[in-house]
Amino acid sequence: MTAATDAACAPDADVHEQYDDATQQREAATLGMWVFLSTEILFFGVLFASYTILRILYPQGFAAASRHTDMLLGTIETAVLLTSSSLIALAVRAVRLDQNRVAAWLLAATATLGLSFLVMHGFEYYKEYTEHLIPAIDFMQPGPHSHAIELFFCLYYCITGFHSLHVAIGVVVISALAVRVCRGAYGAHRYTYPELTALYWHLVDIVWVFVYPLLYLVDRSG
Amino acid sequence: MSAAAAKSDGTRPVTPVSRYLWVLAALLTLLALTAGSALLKLGSLNTVLNLAISFAKTSLVMSIFMHSTQGRRLTFMVSLLGFIWLAILICFALSDFTTRAVIPAPW
Amino acid sequence: MSTIEGSFWSHDYGLRAWLTTRDHKRIAILYALGITFYFFLGGAAATLIRLNLVEPTGALLSAENYNKAFTFHGVVMVWFFLIPSIPTTLGNFLLPLMIGARDVAFPRLNLASWYLYMLGGLFAVAALLAGGVDTGWTFYTPFSTMFSNTNVYLVVIGVFVTGFSSILTGVNFIVTIHTLRMPRLTWFRLPLFVWCMYAVSLVMVLATPVLAMTLALIALERLAHLGIFDPALGGDPLLFQHLFWFYSHPAVYIMILPAMGVVSEIIPCFVRRRIFGYRFMVYSILAITVIGFMVWGHHMFVAGQSMYASLLFSILSFVVAVPSAIKVFNWTATLRKGDISFEAPMLYALGFIGLFMLGGLTGLMLAAPALDIPLTDTYFVVAHFHYVMVGGSVMAYLGGIHYWWPKITGKLYSEGWARAAAILMFFGFNLTFFPQYILGYEGMPRRYHAYLPHFQVLNVLSSAGASILALAYLLPVAYLLWSLRAGRAAGNNPWQARGLEWQTTSPPPQENFLSAPTVGEAYAYDEAAP
Repeated sequence: MTAATDAACAPDADVHEQYDDATQQREAATLGMWVFLSTEILFFGVLFASYTILRILYPQGFAAASRHTDMLLGTIETAVLLTSSSLIALAVRAVRLDQNRVAAWLLAATATLGLSFLVMHGFEYYKEYTEHLIPAIDFMQPGPHSHAIELFFCLYYCITGFHSLHVAIGVVVISALAVRVCRGAYGAHRYTYPELTALYWHLVDIVWVFVYPLLYLVDRSG
Repeated sequence: MSAAAAKSDGTRPVTPVSRYLWVLAALLTLLALTAGSALLKLGSLNTVLNLAISFAKTSLVMSIFMHSTQGRRLTFMVSLLGFIWLAILICFALSDFTTRAVIPAPW
Repeated sequence: MSTIEGSFWSHDYGLRAWLTTRDHKRIAILYALGITFYFFLGGAAATLIRLNLVEPTGALLSAENYNKAFTFHGVVMVWFFLIPSIPTTLGNFLLPLMIGARDVAFPRLNLASWYLYMLGGLFAVAALLAGGVDTGWTFYTPFSTMFSNTNVYLVVIGVFVTGFSSILTGVNFIVTIHTLRMPRLTWFRLPLFVWCMYAVSLVMVLATPVLAMTLALIALERLAHLGIFDPALGGDPLLFQHLFWFYSHPAVYIMILPAMGVVSEIIPCFVRRRIFGYRFMVYSILAITVIGFMVWGHHMFVAGQSMYASLLFSILSFVVAVPSAIKVFNWTATLRKGDISFEAPMLYALGFIGLFMLGGLTGLMLAAPALDIPLTDTYFVVAHFHYVMVGGSVMAYLGGIHYWWPKITGKLYSEGWARAAAILMFFGFNLTFFPQYILGYEGMPRRYHAYLPHFQVLNVLSSAGASILALAYLLPVAYLLWSLRAGRAAGNNPWQARGLEWQTTSPPPQENFLSAPTVGEAYAYDEAAP
């Protein structure tokens, strides 16, 4: 992630020598970010593919395991991420309209929501620890689906862990961006870097949109 | 892409605030729908519905927040690439896992 | 050294200038040094393997050390030589020149990818120094996660890190080709080498993340016994094989597509005519790229994969052979009635076609489950993929190095020595690997340090061929380095070739073109030079 945005953070005002003009440079950076996002989908894709196969092998075990997750917190976390996504979209809009203070506040709010997402996840992890649901550290579930529940939670921690890593990176990057925006580093003609950061954050959101039903909502009614 | 949307220097017009807020409202409504439908006894339809709603949310985020449909057509195509390749991975892997026990292989 | 003056070589002297350069040409040279180092390191492991197999008892290496030798050979040759070889050296150097650009789109990323490559390589070497790894380059579970007592972590981390280097190169090339082409240089005027770089970048970008994540799961599984790939805990080892081959079969196309690109440049130049069926060449490159992602299950016919899935993967494997065959036909058709001259690059290119065809056709045999099942894990498979990767990719890589050497260095190498090396390589290669087809057909299994005595004659022949091959690989190092000291100045276009890269000086200046090159049709050999 850092490397791709690093290349994209070339300020719009000074065009690097390999480009003809700022438009070409912005198009290149945007395309680079989108290609990078495709690789992100496939990074998560390995975990989703493993999930699909194992869920097909153990449908009942996965349903039983999913009921151990905290649906209320999961739903709130989803709402928080969706809201943060719209806030960062509004922030980019504000940067483009030269409303730097508004943009900085919106970015700060986005980062705060991201942070609260991480805190909520911390609570979830702690609760699962007390319920002996963490494989390799403290796992104890009696019953016929013990192995399947353990596999589910292995994937649960891989997926949410890898996703939280992305959220954490996003919070750091967005906080730093908020400071720079506040100082007026970006504006109507220099918004590539804020826009690319927003693209990254939206992707983190999209991943979660799939994580939520697949981990928290399997056979809730059963 | 709509021809009017792309100016000559490749920048998009600024999206009105109301549009972003409408999308947020739609996303939260869809979230409520997913959570609500998950509590109904629908069998395997639960999963189908959940995933359909996830794809709906994704297309809203991608088209409005990420502007994937408003810039160059190339951007839109690249935005689908990861999903298509993930579908290849999952579908071909499933072709093995879902047909395994039907007839034992003769070897 | 008069030609060096004013070129990218002399732009800024000193180690520091080279290690912080963002010039795609210098990064290509840095990559070439790394890749050559790993090629000979992997070659040393191959030498040990072939020496051990001279005798049926395999007295040189213990079974354990033999496992470590072929694992090291595989890991180094696949990830630290073959995959980066052509894209990062010739690709980095030539891609911007061929499209008339000043540099790649993201020069800093380009340098970062070299550092990641070297860092990954350090981990692999560290694993060797710490005692090696015995899992085979495929890291099959559950052996790699539960039973192997060797340095699996180090190698897995090394390959993981190098994977990011691949991804960065891929992103860079895709964006470069999309955004930095000269005006009037439309898609169907691009040299096929550029098309191949585009295709290979797509494969790198779409396949490598899957490998990286799968290797991360292997490391986690080893660390914490997650159970995802462990049948004892309800997991599925075949899941690992699916994920691994989703990357590693397309990785074969990462190795062969650039080779096809190089050959498509060399052949028209030494036949003095347009490439036959340009558009079909482009479509077949794209078809290989996409269909190549749908055939991975042919590595798993005996692994317990469902019969129906095997059928599907088998049919698609036959389908992917069609575009490859189209390419071979088109190269051959380009040769027909052409004014062929047999300079060293052309000898390598012709060698490529022959060896690739033999490797490809035996690949079809292995794509049919009825033949693959008895041949799995025999030397037939070993011979097949060495024909494609060594006979195909390495021949083309060396062909490309010879073809563009005058452009890169501004010097001419000794044509006589170069032809001798190319011919020696062709015969050495066939002597090494053709006996392995027969050995495999007769049932000698791969990955054993000892074998039945009646296989000895063919094994001795193979080892004799390997020593000729080793000599043939050392020769170019000698005469190419010699040419740097004593070679004649090459001039801007010694082969009267047509690509944009030949319109600048040799070696190119730091800014690539002092005056804008003239864009025309690709391969316009029937027209007067611009």
